[in-house]
Amino acid sequence: MHLLLIEDDREAAAWLIKGLQAMGHVVDHAADGEDGLHLALTGDYDVLIVDRMLPKRDGLSIIRMLRADGNLTPALVLSALGEVDDRVEGLRAGGDDYLVKPYAFDELVARLEVLTRRHKEQVPATQLKVADLILDLTTHKVSRAGQIIRLQPKEQQLLEYLMRHQDQIVTRNMLLEHVWDFHFDPQTNVVDTQISRLRSKIDKDFGMPLLHTIRGRGYRLSENE
Amino acid sequence: MNRLLRTSAIRLSLRYAVLYMLVAGTGLAVLYWATSRYVDAQIQAGLEHHVDSLKALYETEGSVGLMRALEGRGLADEPENHRFVLYMDKSGGRLTGDLKSWPPEAQPDEQVRNIWIEDNLIPLAMEDHDGYWPSIATSFPDGSRLLVAQSVRQAEDLQEFILGTLFATLGMIISLTLVLGWRMGRQLLARIDQVNTTAGKILNGHLDKRIPLSGSNDEFDELAQNLNTMLDHINRLIHGMRQVTDNVAHDLRRPLTRLRNRLDVTLLEPRDPDTYRESLEATRNDIEEVLKTFNALLEIAQAESGHFRGEMEMLSLSALASQLGEMYADLFEEQGQQLEVAIEPDICIRGNRQLLAQSISNLLENAHKYAGAKAHMKLSLRHDQAMVLLSVSDNGPGIPKDRQQDVLQRYVRLDTARSTHGNGLGLSLVSAIAKLHQAHLALEDNEPGLIVSLRFTPMKCTSEQ
Repeated sequence: MHLLLIEDDREAAAWLIKGLQAMGHVVDHAADGEDGLHLALTGDYDVLIVDRMLPKRDGLSIIRMLRADGNLTPALVLSALGEVDDRVEGLRAGGDDYLVKPYAFDELVARLEVLTRRHKEQVPATQLKVADLILDLTTHKVSRAGQIIRLQPKEQQLLEYLMRHQDQIVTRNMLLEHVWDFHFDPQTNVVDTQISRLRSKIDKDFGMPLLHTIRGRGYRLSENE
Repeated sequence: MNRLLRTSAIRLSLRYAVLYMLVAGTGLAVLYWATSRYVDAQIQAGLEHHVDSLKALYETEGSVGLMRALEGRGLADEPENHRFVLYMDKSGGRLTGDLKSWPPEAQPDEQVRNIWIEDNLIPLAMEDHDGYWPSIATSFPDGSRLLVAQSVRQAEDLQEFILGTLFATLGMIISLTLVLGWRMGRQLLARIDQVNTTAGKILNGHLDKRIPLSGSNDEFDELAQNLNTMLDHINRLIHGMRQVTDNVAHDLRRPLTRLRNRLDVTLLEPRDPDTYRESLEATRNDIEEVLKTFNALLEIAQAESGHFRGEMEMLSLSALASQLGEMYADLFEEQGQQLEVAIEPDICIRGNRQLLAQSISNLLENAHKYAGAKAHMKLSLRHDQAMVLLSVSDNGPGIPKDRQQDVLQRYVRLDTARSTHGNGLGLSLVSAIAKLHQAHLALEDNEPGLIVSLRFTPMKCTSEQ
């Protein structure tokens, strides 16, 4: 992926670039808002990583300018402001995701993956399919190997999110945010329980496991190990 | 004194004094003018009437009768009228009367005219003085002439009296306005002085000083009240800041020290890669904990200070509690505990969804952590008289009665909590969020176990919820 990182903390940026490069991404870096806007307008990027507070021009205004210009490159907002409303403000400005500092590197990577994928698949599908697991979006029926599976509403939402991001790592926080709309860290592994419940329904009676736990990082729904 | 003159009150009172003076002056001038006119008309009518009666006397009793009547009247026997007469024969000889001679201006035309009466025409005994006197002169068929003149002294006396009264009234109005204005100004100053004195004390570091109220509920009280509320708010913010600083120092120093010790020891001598990895991973986990504590402290301070920028909206507490209950029930069951969820539908309140979710989640997680392995817990939401009651109860060891209030205090933790996993700030955050939602948080004995309850003011659910 070709990424643009707009971040004024040079040391943090250096580590981030190092990590992202190690994962095979190409990263451009801008240290202030004006440079960032210029690069974002002229370059062709898969995802923008934009710090909210920047010298010369703040991050949200960069995104607003881009959106006004018709540039829909997905943007992940990084911020040290973590109040509920700050997040809403960030998303309203046209940001596609919002990550509060300090964040885990894995969390950042997982979200970047999701953003690029979301950007690419613009055609609305009528059904989601992972191997022989099918979620029909019009009838809301779930089946595996032709066999109907009954799911609770929350389980279904959880499955839909995982299926929409198949083959990607999805973190616990991402699930909490998108499936339950909770933006806080529970002290317990409440998400894991929900996952294992879902797993017992979609994987248990079938040969090949689809829902994988990636230790220390999150989950992935995929027909590959 | 100088200050008093500079106050707006005294300036206002001076301005009013001038204004009142103008208004009253105009009114009194009109009054004076009208009174004078009235007096003049009265005099004129009196004169005409007098002359008419004398003429009638002449017609019935002739010249002699008139003379007798005039003489019998005596020298100005009606001094209250100050009316003077002069009766003369056709050749200009003085027949009778008070005046000594006929004034040259007087023409016998039976009209009231102001005629100049010299001092030497007036008998000394009358103690009157010269001036233009309203007079009527008339002539009779035998050629005799009669003059009736009214002294202006009475009118002048009256005018003087009226003028005197008018000026006294005007003076009283002005002095009253000034005195009242002065007093008002001083009172105003006294009230403002109180504000200033208090502000001075606060500037000098006595942050707990407040402006005294007079109890009259006037604008000054309102101002003082508003300033006091503002000061309270600022004080709370400062207090919150101090608390955060203190607690950040206290709560973060320990884990940070531990972290540092581990790194120091790891770096003491060369180690194999696995040891480094282990140490780094442990460090990362520690940092995770430090960050959680740090965030919790910030959130508590934010909620505590009442400074919350987030959205407060109408939301269904029933839906939120059900969602969380469902979410946690599975987790608890998995670990051998039981969570009973009893939620009345359609209970709505005004609040922030994220904060409320966090509160409920904290209460559930607390119960989960402290109630023991086989604990039975209950999440309940129901109407309770005019309020709605959200409670999380368990049958675990509970909290000793004498410590129940303690745990609600900011950052007070029981020793048992310190040794358990987690930062132990859960209930403090719940307490702060409850305050922000004007909810009442209570801890009760479940015999055995603990009931933590939140009492909210219910709202009417709108269709959206």
